[in-house]
Amino acid sequence: MSHDGHHSVVIPAPGPEFVPHTVAHHFDTPVQEFQAAKLGFWLFLATEILLFGGLFAAYFYFHEAYPETFRVGGHQLDWRLGALNTSVLLLSSWTMAMGVRSAQTSQKQKTLLFCGLTVLGAVIFMVIKFFEYQAKNEHGLVVFSELFAPYDAATGSIPWFKDYHGVMAGLPHGHLFFAIYLTMTAIHGLHVVIGAGLILWIMKGAAKGRFHAGYFLPVDLVGLYWHLVDLIWIFLFPLLYLVP
Amino acid sequence: MSAHDHHAPGDLQMGHHHVSSAKLFFNVLMALLVLTVVTVAASRVDFGAANMLIAMGIASVKAALVIAYFMHVKWDTAINKIVFLSSFLFLSLLFIFTLADHATRRWDNDLHTMRTPVDKQWVYRQHEHAGDH
Repeated sequence: MSHDGHHSVVIPAPGPEFVPHTVAHHFDTPVQEFQAAKLGFWLFLATEILLFGGLFAAYFYFHEAYPETFRVGGHQLDWRLGALNTSVLLLSSWTMAMGVRSAQTSQKQKTLLFCGLTVLGAVIFMVIKFFEYQAKNEHGLVVFSELFAPYDAATGSIPWFKDYHGVMAGLPHGHLFFAIYLTMTAIHGLHVVIGAGLILWIMKGAAKGRFHAGYFLPVDLVGLYWHLVDLIWIFLFPLLYLVP
Repeated sequence: MSAHDHHAPGDLQMGHHHVSSAKLFFNVLMALLVLTVVTVAASRVDFGAANMLIAMGIASVKAALVIAYFMHVKWDTAINKIVFLSSFLFLSLLFIFTLADHATRRWDNDLHTMRTPVDKQWVYRQHEHAGDH
């Protein structure tokens, strides 16, 4: 219908504080635009599950192989900070769900408020994570300045794993737990940062009145991304901080 | 219930969408926080090998709550459900074959290394040990 480009489909704004949405020219209807974008985003989220899935497979493999290394390694992390960060992420997942709901019901101020609270949750999470990493750095369990130093095959020593207090002494492959801890939490942390950036972008659009009951697609998709970040952490918390 | 109820079908919007009540979202949040406390409490009790299964079981319930309600999958279209939930099917294949590999390996407990069942060096070392007696 609109393939000729002579006219485009426009979703009207529900009120003066909102702006109408023009459906991209390669879509016939708003429904088609919504369903196409949503299907594509679910496919992307499926690949995210598989990205973290590979790391979880590595965790389970080495946990089975060296249970004592993982048990003692897990005790080096502060489970209280882990539990606190879990609560922060769960709360931020709730504020995000409420943010999407506010967009769906054309409540502009509430959309901005809940998205802002979600970003605040992301900041608190990363600040706590920073202090955790700092403690690991001080104890030589993950020496960040040596992270990219070459491995010395002659001595077999791992540059980033110094273990100043010898907490992992005598355990097989003591560095392994911290290698998996850092890889999984750093990739997860990267998702937290990207998620927070996307939510700020959503807030910019919401402030202009772009999202309302007629059109809230970007809010919905960014919300899904943020819930995925929470989903991954739900498994990371018991596996890393409360090693079974 | 829905904010869209006053619109007639075919109105210019993205279609009809289920809008969850704020009460439902709050209840889900409370359930998730309670289950986090349960996770910590369960880790304090020694159930042996079952600790891992219990921890992953609780995490799976939490994940199901997030997926069904926060991510709205419960009200999503069949194709979107299939696309997202199938990723967990493929994930289980990855776990099953990875752990099958682990289960069929031999372990050199002195050196804390693993060897494949067909490792010549391993077989040779076993014979050597047998000859010592």
